Order: sequence, then structure tokens, then C-alpha cells
Amino acid sequence: MLSLVVVMIALSILFLLLSAQFVFVAQIIVYAGAVMVLFLFVIALLGPARESGRGRLRFQPWAAGLFAVVFLILTWTMLQGVHYRQPDPQVNLDVFGTVQWIGVELFTRYLYPFELTSILLLVAAIGAIYLSRREIDDR
Amino acid sequence: MNILDIGGSQLDSSWFLLLGAILFTLGTVGVLIRRNPLVILICIELMLNAVNLTLITFSRQLQNPEGQLFALMVMTVAAAEAVVGLAILVDIFRVRDVEDVDDLSELKG
Repeated sequence: MLSLVVVMIALSILFLLLSAQFVFVAQIIVYAGAVMVLFLFVIALLGPARESGRGRLRFQPWAAGLFAVVFLILTWTMLQGVHYRQPDPQVNLDVFGTVQWIGVELFTRYLYPFELTSILLLVAAIGAIYLSRREIDDR
Repeated sequence: MNILDIGGSQLDSSWFLLLGAILFTLGTVGVLIRRNPLVILICIELMLNAVNLTLITFSRQLQNPEGQLFALMVMTVAAAEAVVGLAILVDIFRVRDVEDVDDLSELKG
């Protein structure tokens, strides 16, 4: 669990390296903060993870390993074959990824997906409340 | 062509893409071989994070805002997915004692 937090924070530092400051902060708050706390609460509620040694499929780990090797080779070959077009020259790298720039883009050109995101969050909150309600005695 | 200039030093962006591919494969293997539903959810989070890394690398490479904005959307979807998935998990565990995901096979025909 702690190693997952370390992975999240290391990834966020890579985001900072790629000049995505706002995504860096959002990653730390959302993942290392909210999602990890949620997982820890559920683990504290359900007890530590019990991993049973038995498996219904005997060959499952071997098949998964084979799949992993093939998938990694495939992805890597695909990424090697990417040809990049020239980046737009008018982008100023000093403001690229800052909060102001993200905000301007999010509230002008990309307003519609932003509003869809809010609806998605509302639906997720309602669903979580509905699923975790206590059964009320019918009287 | 795919050399990034980060803080005055040169860095090949293929390393970021390779790290993203490795993390995604690790998440896939975790989903495939682990049987604890909680660990499977964590592995899905790992896969979404790998995709985020790839999106932001391409965004920086092409100097295009859409990659970063889409990464934010992916982050939102990941948070919503974690919330709903964990709520379903708690609900299942409250009703009956489930050892692993192989026990949840009522829908099997």
C-alpha cells in the first residue's frame, strides 16, 4: 500500500518534469490523498487482504506472464514507430501547464467536457451513497 | 525529433513512454493473476496512471493542451471508479463472506 503511494508521488514528479504543474498537484491531492485514504478505509473496514493460494485455473499465472511479455513487446514496438509532427511554434513553454493556462483552456474551449465531468462526479457520489446506505426496517 | 528539452538538459521522451508501457503491463498482470477484488481495483488505478503518464508525455511532445486536460478527465473517472467500486465491494462483503473474485460467479450461465 505504501509502495503504491510512492509510485503515485513518483509519477506526479514525472508530470512536473513534463511541465504539467496543475496535473502534478491534482495527482498528489487526488491519488496520494483521496483515493489512497479511501482504499485504506476499506482495508481497515474489511480486514487485511487475504490471498488464498488455491486457484481454479492452474495455468493462469503462466498465461498471464506470457501475455505480459507479448503485450509489452507489442506496445514498445508500437511506440517506437510513432512519427511526431512538428509542435505548434506559438506555444510559450513558460505558461504551458500552469494553473492559469489550464483554467483558461478548461473554461473556454473545453467547457463541455468539464461540465460532463461534474455530472459524472455527481452520479458517482449518488451511487456511492445509495450503495452504502443502511437497510431501514420496513415498518 | 523526440528529444525533450527539460530545464536546459536533453531527455528522450521514449523513456517516459516505456515507463508508461511497463506500468500498464504490470497493472494488467495484477488484474489477471490476483484474486482479491481490492488488489484488482488498485491494479486498475495503476493502469489508469500509466495512461496518464503517456498522455502527458505526448502533450509535452506536441505542446498541445488536450493531453493534459484529458489526463485530468482520466483522473476524475479514476476517482469515480474507485468510489463506486469500493462501495460495491463493501456492500458485497457486508452481505456475505467472500474469499476472492472466483466466489462471485452468480452471473455465470
